[in-house]
Amino acid sequence: MRTLNRVLEGIGSTILLLLRSVAYLPTLPRQFGRFVEQCYLIGYTTLPIVAILSFFIGSVLALQSGYAAQNLGPKQFIGLLVGLTMARELGPVMVAVLLTGRVGSAIAAELASMKVYQEIDALETMNIPPARMLVMPRLAATLFMMPVLTIIADLVGWFGGAIIAKYTSFIAIEPASYFATMRQYMDFDDVLNGLIKAEVFGFVIVLVCCNIGLNTRGGPREIGAAVTRAVVASLILILVLDYFVTKALM
Amino acid sequence: MNNPQQAARVGLFFLLGVALTWVTFETLSGGKILKDDGYRLIAGFETLKELKVGDEVRMAGVKIGDVAHTRLAGRRAEAVLRIASSVKIKSDAHASIIMAGLIGSNYIGIDLGSANAPDLPPGAEIQTRSTPDLNSVMTQIGEMGKKLEAALGNLGGALSGDGQGGPGLLQKVDLLVTENRENLSKATANLQEITAKVNRGEGTLGRMINDPSLHDDLVASIAEIKAGATEAKTFLANAQSIVDEVKAGKGAIGALVFDQKAGDDLKASIANLRAVSDKIAQDEGTLGKLLSDDSILRDAQAIMKKADRALDGMDDTGPITAVGVIANGLF
Amino acid sequence: MADPQTTRNPFTDAESQAVGVEIHDLSKRFGQVEVLKQISFSVAPGEIFVLMGPSGSGKSVLLKHIVALEKPTSGRVLVDGREAASEEIRETVRMALVFQAGALFNSMSVYDNLALYPREHRVTNEQGIREKVMRALQILSLENAHQKYPSELSGGMKKRVAIARALVMEPQLMLYDEPTSELDPVMSATISEIIATLKEQYHVTSIVVSHDRELALNIADRVGILMGGRLVFLGPPAELAQPKDPRVADFLNPRIDLQNPRFKQLET
Ligand SMILES: Nc1ncnc2c1ncn2[C@@H]1O[C@H](COP(=O)(O)OP(=O)(O)O)[C@@H](O)[C@H]1O
Ligand SMILES: [Mg+2]
Repeated sequence: MRTLNRVLEGIGSTILLLLRSVAYLPTLPRQFGRFVEQCYLIGYTTLPIVAILSFFIGSVLALQSGYAAQNLGPKQFIGLLVGLTMARELGPVMVAVLLTGRVGSAIAAELASMKVYQEIDALETMNIPPARMLVMPRLAATLFMMPVLTIIADLVGWFGGAIIAKYTSFIAIEPASYFATMRQYMDFDDVLNGLIKAEVFGFVIVLVCCNIGLNTRGGPREIGAAVTRAVVASLILILVLDYFVTKALM
Repeated sequence: MNNPQQAARVGLFFLLGVALTWVTFETLSGGKILKDDGYRLIAGFETLKELKVGDEVRMAGVKIGDVAHTRLAGRRAEAVLRIASSVKIKSDAHASIIMAGLIGSNYIGIDLGSANAPDLPPGAEIQTRSTPDLNSVMTQIGEMGKKLEAALGNLGGALSGDGQGGPGLLQKVDLLVTENRENLSKATANLQEITAKVNRGEGTLGRMINDPSLHDDLVASIAEIKAGATEAKTFLANAQSIVDEVKAGKGAIGALVFDQKAGDDLKASIANLRAVSDKIAQDEGTLGKLLSDDSILRDAQAIMKKADRALDGMDDTGPITAVGVIANGLF
Repeated sequence: MADPQTTRNPFTDAESQAVGVEIHDLSKRFGQVEVLKQISFSVAPGEIFVLMGPSGSGKSVLLKHIVALEKPTSGRVLVDGREAASEEIRETVRMALVFQAGALFNSMSVYDNLALYPREHRVTNEQGIREKVMRALQILSLENAHQKYPSELSGGMKKRVAIARALVMEPQLMLYDEPTSELDPVMSATISEIIATLKEQYHVTSIVVSHDRELALNIADRVGILMGGRLVFLGPPAELAQPKDPRVADFLNPRIDLQNPRFKQLET
């Protein structure tokens, strides 16, 4: 019952924070510096891990489907399989998970620490709403960077799959035929679908992590607890949202 | 906070993302025939079977469009086809639903039509042909099976006579034979006479069959082949010994590999072998019938196989060929 | 330059902007613990009010109510005659609170900490902000620390930065939570001078939570003493010389009695 109460409270405060942040959107031009800084943290510094992980996910997708298709025949469809899975599902989900781990946790920790050390209170007394200065630039930067990260993840994953498909002895299909099936049976809509998903995931993750950070109460110990809560909530939300967004986009 | 380098990196990063998205878009849309919206044709079918929106429309195997949507129109099903503007379809072309795979990927195939027929205008209706799908083929086979069963049942009845339809077929045959006994025995006698003549060597057929010299000739030629084969055998044995020497490291390989003459000799003897084998190949029919000695045939076959392999190796001229021969001998 | 009395007036038309504070029957409980019990007093515009009391008596909580960081369980807190927690007050009255722990922005340099408020509220251009910030740093002898980060500062320096940050805000109502507790006697005296100058020259209302008797006796217009969540004394500093309440007397002039220590009295 208390957990349910906490969840409802969380949802409510998240929505309020969302509304407040959106209301501060017009201040974005004069917070351009902060926006760029957040873009840098959310996008640029997350790129290496996104590239590495998506390469291996694409590879393992090709490997597993190649293994499964050994006795099936049309192995060039591995290209289509990797392409679709990466673009529609694993690309956005993986980027979202990495965003949670790398950015969401950092946001929760930073805002929780600001709250615990009364920096948030100081902002309030200065009549600088935290939603304007701390949340809105992060949300905008996330919306700006998620598609970039996701398209890179997609492409790196595709190429990872292509390389594995060529050099694995029991698959051994040429990149040309690997990509041909992708080109023939995939649409840009599939990629777009993934990009939209990534936007939704990124936005929700950052919003939730901000909210959990800002609502931290107590001492420094609570910073760690806030990070844990933020990461768990984000991961759950990714998977739950994934289902609904997939459904909505069908 | 306003680090210009940071801003530059973010800007570059974003541009990279935009560029990659654009490339992806171009690549994935580039594979599509329909850059524009094309034009529409309507194809009416009794049933669309497994056809779905988005399935391909192909002409002579080439993708020219897709199924824009499907609908039920009165007593028939209609598929609206989106055809690339650059493709013109003749008015006497037919569309049919074709199943590409067992897992239900279908497409609409349109034939070329006749060259001088007018083109179909956008929005027109294309003629269709219904093709049986797997299910209907199965049901048809099932029905055929039933019919066959019924027919066999009838036949059984007809043969034995069921008492209602008069005498059965076999009974009728019996009657026929009894009635024509005299004629039949005459015909049999004639036949006997002809066979006797053949046996005696009369007539062309008889001679063919009865002349012993012809057989002797053939046996002689087989002997020749056999001799040739023996020669080839010894040659190969020689080659084998060379190979063995090579294997044994006696250094003969240098001579053989770089001796043009040895190569040419080899080539000539292989050519002889081939001529012989060609003869055999031409007379294959007779040979097959007349060869009583299976071992000769087997020998010849084995030789020819080896010779073939050796000849393959001889295709390239020059000293290298010798290496080919050796290599072939090795394996 | 370092003397605030000779600096240009950083506040515009301060006289008309002085605000008063009224507290009516303020009670606050955290869960089962009642921290403030029916407190009532008022601070006139331009007055220096010093709030004293043992630690844990609720002084910081009381200050937070004035800047609307805490909401009363019951009672009212009025700033300039209006509800302290209202949006109106937030928008129209400049209040600054010097937090007990400083509450500096740890991710920003000292300079950016000070410059944040004028930048966010676009008080003036970057050049004007620079002048204001450097002047505030000079007043508190911090001009060499402006590029440092809070983690590189000592406790006393942090407190001075917090005060400087409040000064840059050019507040009408200034709240200090133990501004001198970690400072050396000279710096404590400087802080007292700053508070007094702000009052005299710019008519700033100040509420100072402090245990510093020197500060209270020298600059306070009135003193309040909070004990166990209740206001046990309210009057001019002169009255502190002969307090009627024995608890207040003991608080102000604690005798160190080695024969009969206080913690032993508690045990019996
Ligand atoms: N957020 C809070 N939650 C629960 N108790 C609090 C909270 N803030 C302060 N308190 C309690 O209120 C009392 C007064 O605290 P405070 O005002 O900080 O004391 P001080 O007078 O030393 O500044 C203390 O007992 C403290 O434990
Ligand atoms: Mg305190």
